[in-house]
Amino acid sequence: MNVQTILYVEDNEYNRKIVHQLMSRTTYRLIEAMDGESGVAMAQKELPDLILMDVQLPKMSGLDATRALKADPRTANIPVIVITSFALSGDREKAAAAGAINYLAKPYSPRELLAMVRDVLPESGSTNREVEK
Amino acid sequence: MHKNERSRAIQVPSSLENLSSAGDPEISLEQFAERVQGRTPLRLLVRWVAGIRASVHTKLLAAFLVVTLLFIAMALVSLQTIVSATRQSQQLDDAHELVGLAQQGESALARQMHYTDMALLSQDEVAIGKILRENNQFNDRLAKVESAGTADPALVEQIRRSQDEAMAVVADMANAIRDGKLGTVTGQLLRRQERLDSEITAQVGRLVAAQQDRMATLRDSVNAANRRSLILTSAFAVSAVLFALLCGFVISWSFILPVREAQGFLDRVAAGQFGGRIEVANRDEFGALADRMNHMSAELHRFDSEQKHAAAELGRLNQQLEQTSKAKSEFLANMSHELRTPMNAILGFTEMLLDGLYGGVPADINEPLTDIQVNGRHLLRLINDVLDLSKIEAGRMELALSEYSPREVVDIVYVSLRSLAVEKGLGFGIDAPDGLPVAYGDNGRLTQCLMNLAGNALKFTRQGKVEIGVERRGDELVYRVSDTGIGIPKEELENVFAEFRQVDSTVTREFGGTGLGLSITKKFVEMHGGRIWVESEIGKGCVFYFAVPLRAKGGET
Repeated sequence: MNVQTILYVEDNEYNRKIVHQLMSRTTYRLIEAMDGESGVAMAQKELPDLILMDVQLPKMSGLDATRALKADPRTANIPVIVITSFALSGDREKAAAAGAINYLAKPYSPRELLAMVRDVLPESGSTNREVEK
Repeated sequence: MHKNERSRAIQVPSSLENLSSAGDPEISLEQFAERVQGRTPLRLLVRWVAGIRASVHTKLLAAFLVVTLLFIAMALVSLQTIVSATRQSQQLDDAHELVGLAQQGESALARQMHYTDMALLSQDEVAIGKILRENNQFNDRLAKVESAGTADPALVEQIRRSQDEAMAVVADMANAIRDGKLGTVTGQLLRRQERLDSEITAQVGRLVAAQQDRMATLRDSVNAANRRSLILTSAFAVSAVLFALLCGFVISWSFILPVREAQGFLDRVAAGQFGGRIEVANRDEFGALADRMNHMSAELHRFDSEQKHAAAELGRLNQQLEQTSKAKSEFLANMSHELRTPMNAILGFTEMLLDGLYGGVPADINEPLTDIQVNGRHLLRLINDVLDLSKIEAGRMELALSEYSPREVVDIVYVSLRSLAVEKGLGFGIDAPDGLPVAYGDNGRLTQCLMNLAGNALKFTRQGKVEIGVERRGDELVYRVSDTGIGIPKEELENVFAEFRQVDSTVTREFGGTGLGLSITKKFVEMHGGRIWVESEIGKGCVFYFAVPLRAKGGET
């Protein structure tokens, strides 16, 4: 069974913690990056199955990072969900233009996020913990 | 110089000029005058006349006065000529008469001598009488000539003496005839007689010649005087006409030049060249006008440069403002991010706690957790409202226009708020017809608008029901929220959409809310090109409407 890997690029540690704890109850494997540049580097190295990309990131914005990934043939086919803080209108269009498959505005409900992830990347199995439960 | 420019400026619009030059293809009178004044010393005269410190009125009056005086002088000269001609012709007549008298005397003398000869030959006393008669006649004419005072008195005296002698001879003759001794003295008398005859004849001949000479001299002088007066009169007439022409020419050009100068100047001003100066030689009304124009030009220049300076300043301020505005919107974007990030964490952890992600939640912890969630969401709404309004105020809000279903907007609001209505025990329903067309607009913002209105309605209604709906009216979609709440007093109806306003501050405390929802709703509706209004009756509730075009056009605030 293939492990489904999700890359989460986010600079805020609490938001990383939420997604980390959310994903720890699933079969997805979560890897994290804290800025745009290292996010791109990690994606190229790990080639995850899905990327959750925050828009406002240090060094390189989430949209630029998404464009960089879409320009690279190795990572071009990896679906990207962009998470914005809904600061400026047209974020949805900008996200779509950068090549994102979907878009989520902060503050998002963890339930909603998980639903969107499962929609894009259906979970292939249950974790031991859920089985224990 | 601007000469060519000026002549063009004056010639092009002048239809009179065209008319006059149409008759003469070679050169118009005005062009001729132009050349005359431009290329002759008259130019200096024109400048001199222009420079005279006197009014236009005075200059014209002085010129007319001089011309008039010249004509008056000419008339006087003519009059004087006529008078002197009359007098001289009288003198000529007199001279002519004197010549006649002298000639008559001469004739009488000839006859006197003839009869003397006859008396000697015929020895007849009758002849003696005739001699005396002719002598008397001669004396009479001589006296008249003498009395005129023009004859030489010495000559007259000589003639008299000779005549006296002649008459003495006649007397001797008469005595001899009476005594019958004429034969003896005839020879002697004849000799005396012959001598006297030739003497007197010569003397009288001189007298006549003198009178004739005098007459000829007089005639010559009359002719000369007539010629002189003719020349004088002509000279006056010609000089008066020439002077009049000169005055007309010089004075008119002394007016035309500054007017042309002014035309060129005004053309330049009209073309936006301020600050130029007009230089004219005139020290009359035209000079005063030029001074005022120069003053005007200087003022215009001052205003113009002040205005340019102000415009530059304005541009600088505008740029500053743009930078500030950009900084503000950047700040807003950052703020939005900074505020939402912790909100995301708070709401996210709360939701995960309540969802039992960390294990079962004890019943007594569940309630405070729910309180955290409700208040967190409320805080988020406040943050969203403030940020939205700031963006709208800064002109940074843009609509995301797309095709959408109006019915879906109503449904989303209904689903979102149903639980709240149920909690408060209020009736909550939808009133929308089937078959609404697909509309074009920012459905997210329109949903927000309807959500605000419906949320308010549920908030301010204690019992009864709230109904939301949408219908098509022509090219518009009219969204509607009606409630059976406390209503709004008439005098407050206009204010409900103002920022930070609620009908009553106690209401705010009781129901919560930012007071921004309605003004944000109004702004979004207006951005769609629509309008919002409310109908209400105190105690019976109110109905909020907002109408937006079925297909929105704009996007900018």
